Amino acid sequence: MMRCIDSREKAMADRTAAHGRLEDVASTPEEFDRVVSQALPILLERAGNCTRRFLRETGQWSDDTAHEKFVLRWSAEYLERFMLYGRSEVPCRPLFLLDSFVAKQHSQPEPFCYHPELLAPLGRFLDGLVARAVISRDALIALYHHCYGMSPRDVIAVTGLNESESQRIYKNFRRWRESGWQRTMDEIGMTDAELEQLIVRQERHPQRFNHEAERIIRFAHDHYRKSEPDHYPCLSRSEWASMFLEGYGCNYRLWHLALCVDCVQMTWDLGRHKASTVEKPRLELRVRP
Amino acid sequence: MEQEQDLADYRARLLDGLNVSARRSICGPSDLIQVFVNERRVGVLDGKEAEATFQFQCQGRVDTVHLRSEDGVLLGGLSAPGYGFRAARISMSRDAVELRIHNTVQSGSASAVFIPAPRRWRHILRAIAGSAQAVIPRPSGAAIAPSMRIGALTQAFLAIIVLGLAADRITAWMTLERIPPPVTRAEAPWAATLAEVAKLEQQLGDLSRMQATAVDTIQSQQRGMAELQRAIAKLAPNKETVPSDVLTVRRETEKRQTGSDRERDQTPRMVMNKGQMDQKQLEAEIQSLAVMNERLSEDMAGLVEQNRDLEKKLESAGLEVSKATAVHQGDVMTARHPEEEQLTSPPLVVDTRVNAQPFLFWVNFSEGTTQERIDQWVNEMQGHKGALNEGWQEVQVVQPSIPTDRFLEQVRETEIVKAVRVSR
Repeated sequence: MMRCIDSREKAMADRTAAHGRLEDVASTPEEFDRVVSQALPILLERAGNCTRRFLRETGQWSDDTAHEKFVLRWSAEYLERFMLYGRSEVPCRPLFLLDSFVAKQHSQPEPFCYHPELLAPLGRFLDGLVARAVISRDALIALYHHCYGMSPRDVIAVTGLNESESQRIYKNFRRWRESGWQRTMDEIGMTDAELEQLIVRQERHPQRFNHEAERIIRFAHDHYRKSEPDHYPCLSRSEWASMFLEGYGCNYRLWHLALCVDCVQMTWDLGRHKASTVEKPRLELRVRP
Repeated sequence: MEQEQDLADYRARLLDGLNVSARRSICGPSDLIQVFVNERRVGVLDGKEAEATFQFQCQGRVDTVHLRSEDGVLLGGLSAPGYGFRAARISMSRDAVELRIHNTVQSGSASAVFIPAPRRWRHILRAIAGSAQAVIPRPSGAAIAPSMRIGALTQAFLAIIVLGLAADRITAWMTLERIPPPVTRAEAPWAATLAEVAKLEQQLGDLSRMQATAVDTIQSQQRGMAELQRAIAKLAPNKETVPSDVLTVRRETEKRQTGSDRERDQTPRMVMNKGQMDQKQLEAEIQSLAVMNERLSEDMAGLVEQNRDLEKKLESAGLEVSKATAVHQGDVMTARHPEEEQLTSPPLVVDTRVNAQPFLFWVNFSEGTTQERIDQWVNEMQGHKGALNEGWQEVQVVQPSIPTDRFLEQVRETEIVKAVRVSR
């Protein structure tokens, strides 16, 4: 009993000391790294409190596990960026720099994609995939598989890539299967039970499940497409046709078609290598990579 | 409880991820590095190229630049100052990327230069010239391009060889001073070696000159390459926007074509539009006139009906008057026979006919009576004014239903009437 109290007191003392160090000035990047890496739980909690307060003040908060997970996910995201950018802000007081960094993120018009439906397991899964696609090319290419069940060859056919560009698609698929998918699931907090639950739901009511997935993914697409290069808008079929025919805008095709259900359904047959196996894409969610 | 455990596990996983985030990428050195400016992906750095560069310019401020591998792992980044210049070197295993941000009042720019690790043969060369490298002072701080380093190492290596040879020559000369000439080849076999050394020295000199020329050539080629890469870097952002520019030009062309067609069709269309508008206006006017006409005809029918009623009333009034006259006459001649009554009936008819004639009289109005008042009085009498002669106004009224004298009495009682007479 006494030992337990002692260890708790020691933990409290350590925490207080770490907190104190975070309030002191870090003069060099190395010192910043050291102080921050020793106090990651405190900083995560601090970022979480700021995010929770933001959600409360904007009327988006509810006391449940889904919201807590949402807060944790975004707090970790902020903290990761803070650890990177803070090094170039020395000399600084890390604790207060974190506050200002998180406040700056929240001052943006839509700091994150929030919708009650995106907090349920299916919404969280789709939101996580699309959010990851914005920062990872592997995840971007994997969207073609998760949404439409395409293989690397189908992706190459649908996007009309040439020989040299198509090699990377295989690499993207491989890396996603090896580690990307699992890392994304870890980061969005999807448990194995939740994933299994999604698979069972899809097996029982495939049509209803896919219909719901399409509705949610359109919402996520609308939000995250703002992060793609701003000169990649939706095009008419004739404009897409000329792009495919003349072979320019490779990135345009890959980025936009992965994040736009309507455009991929409009252009699926425009690729130069018309593979007979490719059918008009319909949203049929694949949970596993 | 289970939910709390789930949350705690999730928190622990996230913290683990933060601890090892930069080491988690499984991308190889030859894979592309994504460059994000202000959280938006703006381009890539190719790890396969020797010194790949990426430049980005925007109208607003650059807040942050960060690098991510293709699997999305955050490799490094830099936050920008409000105004001014900031640079950082991001180490990635053996390679490195140099990030620079420059913000001005009008715009911001960012650049990234990929600096690959030296190749194996360069490592070997460095190992050979390890000691020489220690002799040469290292430029502090700034990154040196590997090719420049190799040039410097080669030069240092040559300098050491030359120094060694020179020391050897000096030793030889000192030795020569002690041994008196002449010396035969057979007696002093090292003399021939000395000549060979001199020859070697000359060859070495030639070699070093050639080496210097080669280094110059390499350096000029490097400068050329650097300029070429700068040009490519300048073109890189344009390359990203080319697809959208092509589309914009097409849309503009289509718009212009549509515009010229529209102008061609505009004049006749305007005339047609005007004609159509006039026609519509006319139709509306015709319709409103038709409505008015209907209303007028209805009013007219009403008036005709009213007129008929009035005529009937007048007729009945006339009959009543004649009956009243007949009753009055009947009182006087109560003893008349029915035959006589029959004989008196015609005068009734005559009376009725006579009553229908207007009754004419002349009025002299009181002094100061206005013409308006006179007109009003005449209207009240339902009469008409006639000629005016020496102050006497001729007035014509419907035959009064009461006896003439009485009627005239009533006229005389009127305020504005001074005198009345029946004959002129």
